[in-house]
Amino acid sequence: MVDLGPLAIASAVMVAALLAVLGSWLRAARRPSSRTAPERVPFTGGQPPSVHAWSRYHVRYYPMALLFLAFDMEMVFMYPWAVVFVGEGLVAMVEMGMFIGILLLGVLYAWRERAFRWT
Amino acid sequence: MTSLIARLAAGSDARVFAIAGAGSRAAVQDLRLADGVELVDSPRAADVLLVAGALDPRHHDAVRRVHDALPHPRASVRWAGSRDVLVPGAAHVALGTDPSSAIRAAHQALMHGTMPTEPPLLPDEDPAPWRGVGPYGQGGSGMTGGTPYGRPMAELAPDRDGLRLDLLPTRLGPFSSLLPHGLELDLRVSGDILVGVEVAATGLAASATSASLFIRALTEPVSIAELEIGRARDHLRWTADALRLQGLRALSLRALRLGLHAAPGDHRAVERLAADIARTGIYRWSLPAADGARTELLAGARLGPSTRASGVGEDERQADPAYRSLGFAPLLGAGGGAAAAWRLRLAEAVRSLELAGRGGDTRSAVTGAVESPRGRLALGDAPSGRALGLLPTLIEGMEWGDAMATIAALDIDLDELGAVTAGTSAEAAA
Repeated sequence: MVDLGPLAIASAVMVAALLAVLGSWLRAARRPSSRTAPERVPFTGGQPPSVHAWSRYHVRYYPMALLFLAFDMEMVFMYPWAVVFVGEGLVAMVEMGMFIGILLLGVLYAWRERAFRWT
Repeated sequence: MTSLIARLAAGSDARVFAIAGAGSRAAVQDLRLADGVELVDSPRAADVLLVAGALDPRHHDAVRRVHDALPHPRASVRWAGSRDVLVPGAAHVALGTDPSSAIRAAHQALMHGTMPTEPPLLPDEDPAPWRGVGPYGQGGSGMTGGTPYGRPMAELAPDRDGLRLDLLPTRLGPFSSLLPHGLELDLRVSGDILVGVEVAATGLAASATSASLFIRALTEPVSIAELEIGRARDHLRWTADALRLQGLRALSLRALRLGLHAAPGDHRAVERLAADIARTGIYRWSLPAADGARTELLAGARLGPSTRASGVGEDERQADPAYRSLGFAPLLGAGGGAAAAWRLRLAEAVRSLELAGRGGDTRSAVTGAVESPRGRLALGDAPSGRALGLLPTLIEGMEWGDAMATIAALDIDLDELGAVTAGTSAEAAA
């Protein structure tokens, strides 16, 4: 007999969360927003906005993608490394240190190029 | 269950969004130290609206908009010299008495449900309803069909990478937590960069008065000990506000506590505070780096610490024989920039407390100009006025965060500006 305890608990949590979301959604759907137009306006200090809030700005995917690679590659190689780490011992430690050191140079370069300042 | 939640909610701090009208800036800042009251930076996070000080009719609509921005349940407290009908239903507390018990009482009543929430002050009219081309407002060209909620889309302009992206016009103020209340800026933002800056409005009430020590020193001799303690306290209050903007709450409260009661014996405590601020690393990490052209602008503007931070020894106190007899020499920074101005303000606070200790009964001479904590102050010429003139050039091209830190470093005091310029216009009339 498979122990279904954890699964039952997980399903119960899921169902409860689903019911809660559904309940609040139904409540909101039944009653239209009670907030007046001035209450819904975003706050910038007391003046109404002059243009629509849909504003297109540069997300800067390119530096974001490079940074993602720098951090993600670390993790991707660390998972299998963690499995063999105990068996390999110090050699694995040094090898991973070198690998992370090289990747870290890329992160430091990105830092110097102000890639962490999102503008 | 409901009563338990109400009890817990009532036991929490009352979160207050404060509108600091004319003559109430320091009093509102002191509220940060009050028990059971927490000042928040946006009305969306507040339970209680505190409207303090005098406000001109031209600001009344902005106050109503802030009031309506508070989520339900909400209450408001009017903290002013006389009763008015600016916020109907608000509890009134006289300026000069502590409003924190009234704020806590309102918060408790709201949380226990014994007081109803305040209805909105503005009518439920969309200022810009959705309007398409069809008879029912439907349809139109473009992605959205018509103009979404009647407001135009932001205009397009090439950004620094040559892409055509939106320039978002934003009106900041008059009651933004990032600016001194009463200051309104028209900003145009491209991504995170300010590409256009205009000062749209300043001042909260035409009848601005200021009981400032430094304005008094313009017309009568004032004890140097008193002046220098006032300067040290002013610098510490400024530090508290600047630290709050940087998100360093505990240090900010420490600076404010020091600023309330700083006396000549406290210079060690101020030195320790300065060292702890330096240790946080904000000088290197959070404040904008010095920039040649901007430093040049500030160097010639007689803006007190901001000017002296770039190494220019401009200080009205040097012209005062009383200060000369005490062996006064201005402290100078090097290189300019916001960080240098921060450091210099704290160093000046320490120096001022020492001066105050040595000052004895010496009184300042009336020379027509006074070195206020913000720079050279004379009748009709306030340092904040000059700072406002420079502000657009200073922050244009900056990132949002750097721009806000730069504005904070200027220490703009609209009450002082109003009092000094109102004085001259009254004299001109007489």
